[in-house]
Amino acid sequence: MNRSVDPKKVNSELFTLTYGALVVQLLNDLESVEDVNKHLDRMGYNIGVRLVEDFIARSSADKCYDLRETADKLQAAFRMYLGISPSIANWAPAGDEFSLMIDTNPLTEFVELPDTCSNMRYSAILPGMVRGACEMVHLEVSSWFVQDQLRGDPVTELRVKFIKRLEDSVPPGED
Amino acid sequence: MTMSLEEESRLLYGMLFSLKSFSNRISPLDVQEGVQCYTTNKYKMTLFETPTSLKFVCNTDVNAPGVNEMLQKLYTQVYVEYVIRNPECKPAEPITSELFKAKLDETVRMSPAFSSKAA
Amino acid sequence: MMSSKSKPSILDRPLSRGKSEVSLSLFALLFAEIVHYTHNRVQSVSELQNRLSEMGYQVGIRMLDLIVVRERNLKRETKILNILLFIKGTFWKTLFGKEADKLEHANDDQRMYYIIEKEPLVNTFISVPKDKGSLNCAAYVAGMIEAVLCGSNFPAKVTAHWHKGTTFMVRFESSVLARDAQVDTR
Repeated sequence: MNRSVDPKKVNSELFTLTYGALVVQLLNDLESVEDVNKHLDRMGYNIGVRLVEDFIARSSADKCYDLRETADKLQAAFRMYLGISPSIANWAPAGDEFSLMIDTNPLTEFVELPDTCSNMRYSAILPGMVRGACEMVHLEVSSWFVQDQLRGDPVTELRVKFIKRLEDSVPPGED
Repeated sequence: MTMSLEEESRLLYGMLFSLKSFSNRISPLDVQEGVQCYTTNKYKMTLFETPTSLKFVCNTDVNAPGVNEMLQKLYTQVYVEYVIRNPECKPAEPITSELFKAKLDETVRMSPAFSSKAA
Repeated sequence: MMSSKSKPSILDRPLSRGKSEVSLSLFALLFAEIVHYTHNRVQSVSELQNRLSEMGYQVGIRMLDLIVVRERNLKRETKILNILLFIKGTFWKTLFGKEADKLEHANDDQRMYYIIEKEPLVNTFISVPKDKGSLNCAAYVAGMIEAVLCGSNFPAKVTAHWHKGTTFMVRFESSVLARDAQVDTR
C-alpha cells in the first residue's frame, strides 16, 4: 500500500542501456542530429514535469524562495533519482546562474560518440528534465551543458539559469 | 439548484485565486502558508496546495477532523501514484482513470473526516 | 569543433561492478516516453510491439555480455534447459531484482517454452485492464530474452502475451533441438 514512500530502485545498467537504445532509435528515425537533440530535450521536459510531483511527494519539499534552495533541491533530486551527487559550483555574481558538476553520468556509462555525432548532446534529456521540473514550481529556467565528459572534458557541467518567476494563471474574467 | 462540474470548478478556482491574492496583499511577508481553510456556519472548506500549485479542495461538515491530512494523502499516495506514473493520464487534462477514482474513493472513505458524522 | 582534445578511450576505463541503481519512477517515466514516442510513429499495435522488441534486443545483447564477463568467467550455456534457467535466474535477477516466476515447457510442441512473469517491471505503471488483449509493453523484455538466446547461439523467436500476468513464448528453431539431442547422446 505504501509504495509512494518506498524508494524503489532498478539496476542502473537497465536504465543506461534503455536510454542508449532510445538514442539509437532516434538517430535511425530522424533526419539530423539536431532533431535528435530536440527530441531528447522534449522527452526530458515531459519526464521532469511528472518527476517533480514524485519528488515533492517523497521529500515533502516546500516552495523555494531563492535560487540557492532550488539548487539544493536539484542536487537532492539527482541523488534520489540517478544515485549521483553533483556538486553545485560556478555561481554567477548576480546569483541567477549556477552549475551542477557531474562526475559520473550514468547515462554515458558505456558511450563513446563517433565523429559523425560530434554535435550531438547525448544527455540532452537532463537539461530538459531540469527545465520541466522547475517550470512546474513556477520557475522559468534555461539549462544546457557547458562541459561534457563525452567530448573529452574533465567533468560534465550542467548550467542552470534563472529567467523569471511564473504566476498562477488568472481566472477568466478577472485581472 | 445544480450546476455543471465545469461551472463549479471555474467558480471555485476564481474564489481560491481571489482569496490567495487577498491574503498575499494583507500579509505580504508571510506567503508560505496562504489560505488553508475557512468555515461558514454551514460547511468548512479545506485547501491543500502543492508547490506545483495543484489544489486539493474538500468541503466538509464544520467539525470534520483530519481533512488536511486526507488531502495530503490523496496527493502523495493517490495522485502521484495513479496519475503521475500512469502514462495514459496527461497532465492538465481531466483524469478519467477508473483506478484513480477507485483509490480516491477508498482513501476518502478511510479518513476520519468521512466517518465522524455518524459519531 | 572540440576534436583537438584527446578523448580518453572508453576501453581505458575499468568495467564497473554493476551494483549501482537508479529510481524506478525515473525508469518508468523514461520507458513511458519511449512507448509514447514509438506509438506516434507506427500504425498498429503489432508494429509498436515489434519496435519495442527491437529496442529490447539492443539492451539484452549488451546485458548478456556484461553478465557473462562479470559473473560467468566468459562461459556461456550450451544446453537449452540451462540457458533458459540462466534467463529465469541470473539474467532476470540482475535486471529486475528477482527471478522470473515460472518456466514451463509446452506439452504439445517440443520447441516451445514459456517464461511467466506475473507483473513485469515495464508494465508496473501501465494501466492493464484497458489494454488487455492488445498492447503488451513487455514486448521490450521479450526482445531482451531473444537477444540472450540468439546471442548465445540458440536462435529463437520470443513474444509477450497477456496470460497469467505476462507469458513470454519462446519458440526455438528446430536446429537448436536437433543439436541439443546430439549433445545428449554423446
